[in-house]
Amino acid sequence: METNIKTLYEESSSKKILIKSSPYLFLLPHLIFFLIFFLIPSVFGIYISFTDWNLFGTPNFVGLQNYQTILMNSESTFNTQFYNGLTNTFIFVLFTVPFCIIVPLLLASALNAKPKLHKFFQSLFYLPTLLAISAVTLIWSIIFSPSHGPINNMFDLNVLWTSSQPFAWVVLVVVTVWWTIGGNMIIYQAGLNGISRDYYEAADIDGATTIQKFFKITLPSLRGQLLYTVVITTIAQFNVYGQPLMLTAGGPNNSTRVLLMYIQQNAFGSGQSIAGIASAMAVMLGLCIMVISAIQFIFLTRNDRK
Amino acid sequence: MSSKNNVISKTISLIFLVLMGIIWITPLVWGLLTSFKSRQELLTGGFNLLPINWVLDNYTHLLINNRSTPLLRWFFNSMVISVSHTFLVVIIVSLSAFAYSRLRFKGRDSLFVFLLATMMFPQIVNLIPLYVIVDRLGWVNTPFAMIFPGLAGVFNIFLVRQFMNNIPIQYDESARIDGASDFKIYTSVILPLVRPVLLVVALFSFTASWNDFLWPTIVVNDVDRMPITPGLQLLQGMFVSQPGLLMAGAIVAIIPTFFLYLFAQQYFLESMSLSVGVKG
Repeated sequence: METNIKTLYEESSSKKILIKSSPYLFLLPHLIFFLIFFLIPSVFGIYISFTDWNLFGTPNFVGLQNYQTILMNSESTFNTQFYNGLTNTFIFVLFTVPFCIIVPLLLASALNAKPKLHKFFQSLFYLPTLLAISAVTLIWSIIFSPSHGPINNMFDLNVLWTSSQPFAWVVLVVVTVWWTIGGNMIIYQAGLNGISRDYYEAADIDGATTIQKFFKITLPSLRGQLLYTVVITTIAQFNVYGQPLMLTAGGPNNSTRVLLMYIQQNAFGSGQSIAGIASAMAVMLGLCIMVISAIQFIFLTRNDRK
Repeated sequence: MSSKNNVISKTISLIFLVLMGIIWITPLVWGLLTSFKSRQELLTGGFNLLPINWVLDNYTHLLINNRSTPLLRWFFNSMVISVSHTFLVVIIVSLSAFAYSRLRFKGRDSLFVFLLATMMFPQIVNLIPLYVIVDRLGWVNTPFAMIFPGLAGVFNIFLVRQFMNNIPIQYDESARIDGASDFKIYTSVILPLVRPVLLVVALFSFTASWNDFLWPTIVVNDVDRMPITPGLQLLQGMFVSQPGLLMAGAIVAIIPTFFLYLFAQQYFLESMSLSVGVKG
């Protein structure tokens, strides 16, 4: 009798251990990768910014020196690089994000009217988001080619698109919009589909114009999607790299060289790696992104707190 | 009255869509046509939409016997990397999502919220140390450097977990009454039911892996080991004055994702309704 109870107890407690341990077996694969390839690098990356490391040998702690250099030492090339890169990144974000919100919003609204072939158009506008950035920039550099491209030839222009300003920015914005708006468009479409027809019909009875309906019904109903896309799109565009690299090579005269290009150049470019400075630049860029996202979030949800 | 407005708005929308559609499709059509134009024509033939002579030279030059920019080799590398990565993503994500959705353990929800919060952390800071870790592991210039690090991602787990949360717990419970273990429930009950969202995860993971640009340029410097997307940067450097070759390279690079899209469009397009449902 006693032995039976003991065996039962042992059996059930080993089963308990089994039941208790099995969640960790499901979680462990991901958590291991998360630890090694995300958590540790995140902390490590911040640490490197406080060293003068060149990726070989042992890192040498230098405190805030790198930050001082890039932020305050106006005689250092890294300082020039940092401010030029940050400014260009900011300009890029300022130019592209509004278009990356407005254009897909208009497209989604047009698709929502469900005219003929709307499914085809939806597919077409979404397709570029699935193409590699390097292929996209190669294709568009042909389009904007001063001598052979359709733009100069069909409209009888003589613009040096990628090697003069402000046209270089135009190229970057156009290509970025073409490449990325598909994602936001689908989000807005899903949102628009959820708006009840009744609102529009009631507005029609009251004699509202299309514009009024758009601003009083459509936009407020898309608040959630707009908030999400504004924040996500801003973050994404802060990480710009491939377009200026392959379309304008950072030019003309470094006027489109974004911060991520300097970071890559300093850390992994030819010659010795200046990982400490590059990390400090990356941390600053990261801080900018986080602060701006927070500001956007607070500003765009302010009405929810009243 | 409102049906007349309806027709007007449909017409205006159609006109707008056609205009935008032309802008959208032109680069692709132009690129494709240019890839069939001979070098001769591109130098001296003036400006034409269609090739004067359709040639395959650009493709043969890049694909056959090409040591300096081995496009075919690059394509193969990308395929190995992206397929392996996608396969692993689906397994790891579904296992994790199952744990966060179905299993009860201490700290489950706090851990999940923590993981989600880390998604906000800017990835740029990781770039340099990630290279160091990959280098110490001996993975530089190997496919592993591009297959494994991405498995740390959390967003897909979030997506699949949301989907799993909508599966009634009764399915699990009836299996448990029959004596099924957690793992059996995972394989026999949950996995078959989450196939749609796993397919979406697979499609997006493959595409992201295939299109990855900056990271591969950091961890691969051996020309033969490159995937195709960073390889195109090399191609640009080598053939900057030969648009025909550049277009052929670009077209080859976009073929897999293009055809994936052609056959699985609905999964890409409807993916948003999976995540938008939780917009809040």
